[in-house]
Amino acid sequence: MLLIAGTVPIKGLPLTTGSVSRDGDYLAVNGRQIPCTQGTGTMIGSALATTEYLGLEAPQVLVVGDDGQGNGSRQMYRYLIDNAGKLTPEVLALHYCLPDISLTRGLCTAIKKCSRRPRLVADAASMYAAKAADLASEFDIFTPDATEMAFLADPNATHPAYISRHLFDTDIARTPQLVAEAYRQNSAAEVLLIKGAIDYIAREGEIITRINDPDVPALEAIGGTGDTITGLVAALLYAGLEPHEAAIIAARANRMAGRYARVTPATRVREIISHFHQVFREHLCQWSGVCYAKGENDNG
Amino acid sequence: MAFFKRKQNTQFEGEGLVLFNEVQEAMKVEKVLKAAGYAVKLVAPPPELRKGCDLAVAINLVEQPGIERTLKQSDVAYVSISPLNIATSELLEIVRVTDFGRWVMVKAGNMKLTFEKESGVIVNTSGGGCPDIPLLHIELLDKKLEEASRPRDNSYTLCALMLDRALERAIEMVQEDK
Repeated sequence: MLLIAGTVPIKGLPLTTGSVSRDGDYLAVNGRQIPCTQGTGTMIGSALATTEYLGLEAPQVLVVGDDGQGNGSRQMYRYLIDNAGKLTPEVLALHYCLPDISLTRGLCTAIKKCSRRPRLVADAASMYAAKAADLASEFDIFTPDATEMAFLADPNATHPAYISRHLFDTDIARTPQLVAEAYRQNSAAEVLLIKGAIDYIAREGEIITRINDPDVPALEAIGGTGDTITGLVAALLYAGLEPHEAAIIAARANRMAGRYARVTPATRVREIISHFHQVFREHLCQWSGVCYAKGENDNG
Repeated sequence: MAFFKRKQNTQFEGEGLVLFNEVQEAMKVEKVLKAAGYAVKLVAPPPELRKGCDLAVAINLVEQPGIERTLKQSDVAYVSISPLNIATSELLEIVRVTDFGRWVMVKAGNMKLTFEKESGVIVNTSGGGCPDIPLLHIELLDKKLEEASRPRDNSYTLCALMLDRALERAIEMVQEDK
């Protein structure tokens, strides 16, 4: 099971679980409509597009409304803590929430008691909480952007709004130094996918790949283009790829979908997701060596 | 409130903290104290009190009695006022601008807001990870900069505060252009 957990922008939505499917421009979970906009909805939509293409079981999701006051976030954490042993997902991806250090610790403790440890992915505030709780190394993949990378490298910051000025000012060329610093402080997951003008993939302290092609600068302005990458990563992990392989393909696929969608800074993220199947059809076999899906171009 | 209006301090000293349960309360108190003429600053609370996304207001501890009186009269919630004996981190104040030709992206901390130059309409917001950000994304899209509701007035998190700073700078840029 691929389980994706996060808050969604629906005030008052109770904790809702189930398999996700499409419902026009929305996602459907247990009779509820979830908007496929920036945040957890985009991450789920991206993961669903990937599992559909690969012929895998659709993601199971755990979503809850939260307007920023944290009530939904705390319900989400407590549900996961209470049910981690029963759910036993193969991949657990955590996303938008109000970061809570003690509940993050509780969740990591509950996961350690599972009969089979899931692969753990964190982005957004779930990543902030994991770092602030000194539990980053329990995770398989983080997907920070450049500012969040500086946050991971800053020993004193508990939120990206507090990172030191000299780290925020850091040129993207210094990302490898920030990566080394974050690993040195135990503030990084096993694999980091750092999103930016150049996407960096790091594993256990070393940059293993830099991706800058195709160059689509407008992606940075579009709300949800980090969420699409995290959804891709989670689904590709669920498909059986190693964390660094999933990260590399996710970064490439997101850029290529941006090019196919001819994005501008005004593009909405669902237009990018709608191009993932085309990207997979034309490139996945070449990128991954996995050429079993119907219709793929195995000539690269 | 006018009774407590006082001359703005020319140099901020700090040394004291107002502590809160909620980020929104800290933002309200900052506004109230600034309006009353106090020099204050939003900062990270001491590590042992942090939850990961919270905020405190740094004050000049010498002014504690007046500040307490002002807060009481303003009916705003706070946990306590305490001496600052542990180093705090300052909120990131840097704003960066990227010109995309027809559009401009303004970045404050981890939050980005993009608007169309000619119309002043917000076409995208991105970044962040706190739960009010997707709500703000939906609320801000397609609004004119000067007509958009301010994130700091109806949201709760540091991500929202950074988005508010991006919006504030974008509004300034449009006004400077006029």
